Amino acid sequence: MLKHLYDTDCVTWSPQGKLFQVEYAMEAVKQGSICLGLKSSDYVVLCSLKRQPSELAGYQEKQFKIDDHMAIAIAGLTADARVLCKYMRTECLEYKYTYESHHPVGRLVFKVAEKSQHKTQSGAKRPYGVGLLVAGIDPNGVHLFETCPSGNYYEYKCQAIGSRSQAARTYFESWFHLFEKSTLEQLVLHGLSAIKKAIMEDEELNEKNVEVGILGKNQKFLHLNAQELKDYITKLEAFNPNSQIQQE
Amino acid sequence: MIFNSEISGQQEHTTSPVVTGGSVIALVYNGGVLVGTDTLCSYGSMATFKNVQKIAQISKNTIYVSSGEFSDFQQVVRELAKIDRSALQYDDGVHPSPKDYGNYLARLSYKKRCKINPLYLQNVIAGFDNDKYLALVDIYGTYLESKFITTGFASYFCKAIISNYWNENCSLDQAKQVIRECFKVLFCRDCRAHDVIQLAYVDAQGTHIEEPERVETKWDFNGFKYRANEKLHTQ
Repeated sequence: MLKHLYDTDCVTWSPQGKLFQVEYAMEAVKQGSICLGLKSSDYVVLCSLKRQPSELAGYQEKQFKIDDHMAIAIAGLTADARVLCKYMRTECLEYKYTYESHHPVGRLVFKVAEKSQHKTQSGAKRPYGVGLLVAGIDPNGVHLFETCPSGNYYEYKCQAIGSRSQAARTYFESWFHLFEKSTLEQLVLHGLSAIKKAIMEDEELNEKNVEVGILGKNQKFLHLNAQELKDYITKLEAFNPNSQIQQE
Repeated sequence: MIFNSEISGQQEHTTSPVVTGGSVIALVYNGGVLVGTDTLCSYGSMATFKNVQKIAQISKNTIYVSSGEFSDFQQVVRELAKIDRSALQYDDGVHPSPKDYGNYLARLSYKKRCKINPLYLQNVIAGFDNDKYLALVDIYGTYLESKFITTGFASYFCKAIISNYWNENCSLDQAKQVIRECFKVLFCRDCRAHDVIQLAYVDAQGTHIEEPERVETKWDFNGFKYRANEKLHTQ
């Protein structure tokens, strides 16, 4: 493969019609630790696995509140994520200043996607190396979006990105038909079960390395605290999605 | 008002209106919001443009009316329509609510006031978005949501009528009667008022702008006919 001839910059196409630099940027997202999101008719839940660079360090936060009605979970280059986070927060503030209401979610994701695309069409720029899962509530309903370094964005019922996310997605494929009618507690337990599928054999879920954020129609964005996380992780042992089917 | 910025090098700002619209009265009723204006634009004391529609429909469920400089009214209509149209580019079906327009106009008015170049208007935004919405934005950019609004001379002559005959749960017909009565009084007392008015209302079904109608007036009082109390200069 003569990839190296066509992958120097964003302004060179390959004969197969690919922009390799953009594809390499998507790889950066796959290197980040897993984060996932899932939604019911009233709530969106974001779950992520936090990495600890060393024993002496703290855990890297992966979820950020954008506004009362919106939050993101990141996978990839944290520094690039900070830039996008700041942009989203500024846009929400300005919208609130002008209209006294919440920024529509899809519209902000569209703006982020525009910004990302811009970086893929210049000789002097590089794409953002981060994928975002954007959870938000607006008059149109409950939303979960994924953005990519390529500038594409998609709306999902549930999605997982980052390293070993395929395992979580496989879990979702089996159970996502239950999410719409799930309670908040069931949704969080589904999220944690999906993360559990994606962790390494010698790793363990605990309240330090997992992060759960919830957002609801009447619930501003909230991080679960250490005690609540511990309780959920304990409940995880007994959690059986099959029992949810019998309820319906 | 002279615009001679090139001559004197100094920028002049509009500080007095030229073509003006009269009072606006807006009332909330049990099913929505009702707004009434007359159809006159005055050129100072001359009743120049007598058949003007001063009620603008901004979106499916929002109306905008104002009293003051009419060219500023037309400009604001363009600005608000711009927002509604630019919402289309996002393909998400989300349109500004009446409250969004009210707040936007408040910010715009305040910004212009800070530059001592105001939009010379008392603005009224009326709409229905799950619930009734009525707000006043004045020349300074003050934003006030209210159940009834009067601008201009209506604030002086009509509040008593509204206070006695209207409540926020009355029917549409009752509210229309109150507004008609108010404009009857205004036509008698306000020198810049006109006897042709136009009503419009927004409810759950959308916006309805009615045809202009003439207020009832009575001029055949004995005092006018026989002029018994006047001393005539015939002697």
